[in-house]
Amino acid sequence: MGKLTLRYFIDGIGRIDLQLRLLAGEGGLDKEIKTGELNRPGLALAGFFDYFAYDRIQIFGQGETAFMNQLSPEQKIKVYDDFFSYPVLCCIFTYEYRPDDLFLEYAEKRNIPIFLSKRSTTRFITLFVHVIDEIFAESVTLHATLVDVFGVGVLLTGKSGVGKSETALELIERGHRLVGDDMVVVKKIDESLLMGGGSEILKHHIEIRGIGIVNVREIFGIRSVRNRKRIEMVILLEEWDSSTEYDRLGLDEKKYTILDIDVPYITVPVRPGRNIPIIIETAALNQRLKKVGINSARELDERIKKWIINEGGK
Amino acid sequence: MVERDVVVNSDAGIHARPAMMIVREAMKYQCEITLIKDDIEADGKSIMSVLGLAIISGSKLKIRASGEGEHELVSYILNLIENDFKV
Repeated sequence: MGKLTLRYFIDGIGRIDLQLRLLAGEGGLDKEIKTGELNRPGLALAGFFDYFAYDRIQIFGQGETAFMNQLSPEQKIKVYDDFFSYPVLCCIFTYEYRPDDLFLEYAEKRNIPIFLSKRSTTRFITLFVHVIDEIFAESVTLHATLVDVFGVGVLLTGKSGVGKSETALELIERGHRLVGDDMVVVKKIDESLLMGGGSEILKHHIEIRGIGIVNVREIFGIRSVRNRKRIEMVILLEEWDSSTEYDRLGLDEKKYTILDIDVPYITVPVRPGRNIPIIIETAALNQRLKKVGINSARELDERIKKWIINEGGK
Repeated sequence: MVERDVVVNSDAGIHARPAMMIVREAMKYQCEITLIKDDIEADGKSIMSVLGLAIISGSKLKIRASGEGEHELVSYILNLIENDFKV
């Protein structure tokens, strides 16, 4: 996405509509939001301007509004003169507290957008941080297919023609859900959280050689798709190569790195007659087991080692 | 590796049929082929991937190939785009 401007506040950003109403300063709507950080301007209103983060979004809650309301007309002019001498990015008033006309006049003159929100300050901030973090998150577009298999976000990768889409189709038919086919936008929401979504344009379309492009949502219904899913494992599909040693134990865990985050990773060789969807379902369930602390391969290995020691002692 | 820049001029951009023309040719080659628009990379052998780039008239594209037949494939695709997919 290109430059993020204040205009998004009214047009809606991403999936969440912040439900903001513009009161004044329309001329400043094309200003760019460069940081997702917020500022409570209480100290600035009280006259303390050291470290005043004017380039952030200013949140006026109950405290700020109450402070402004008790000012005498003369004091107001002084406070607003000082406050608006900074190139403030924009102000958001929560609880639908409408600032006085003088404040709006200043804002209008200096093209500083003033928004009104119905929400409480805490609710608004929580929601805003959630929305803005995702926008400022690092992202990458991958040529892969993302499917929610038993609640596990499985990213299928592999060369074109190896059967990613066909595998996804079969998984969908078995009740799993498609997020995106052939193009997945991955965002690093947090140091340990990768969120994958399909392309806005492609939505839930899938290309199956021999049929062409089909709309999964229309054919299989709303339960067959979802818009986003956390990526919890990566499965590389590759043509069966008899010279490659495939993992037979699952004792060593391999990692696939996306945006500096390590994701559990397995390679599944594809060959006619091999039921890939069932293998993927099993891999996903095994991943879930590992998450709750059960590692099948390791446990069997431990048991055998114990048995060997005990038997050896007899 | 071969890399070329091109601007798409066909009025309709790269919609389904033009995408198919690129992909169909790309599949004949062993090399990897990537179409890049605004830092987003698409696999030139996948229709959905190419369509996902949302290439419109005026879009700047980078075409990158590496492997067997890279030169032939890139020049074929450049030719397609420069001739507005009229072959």
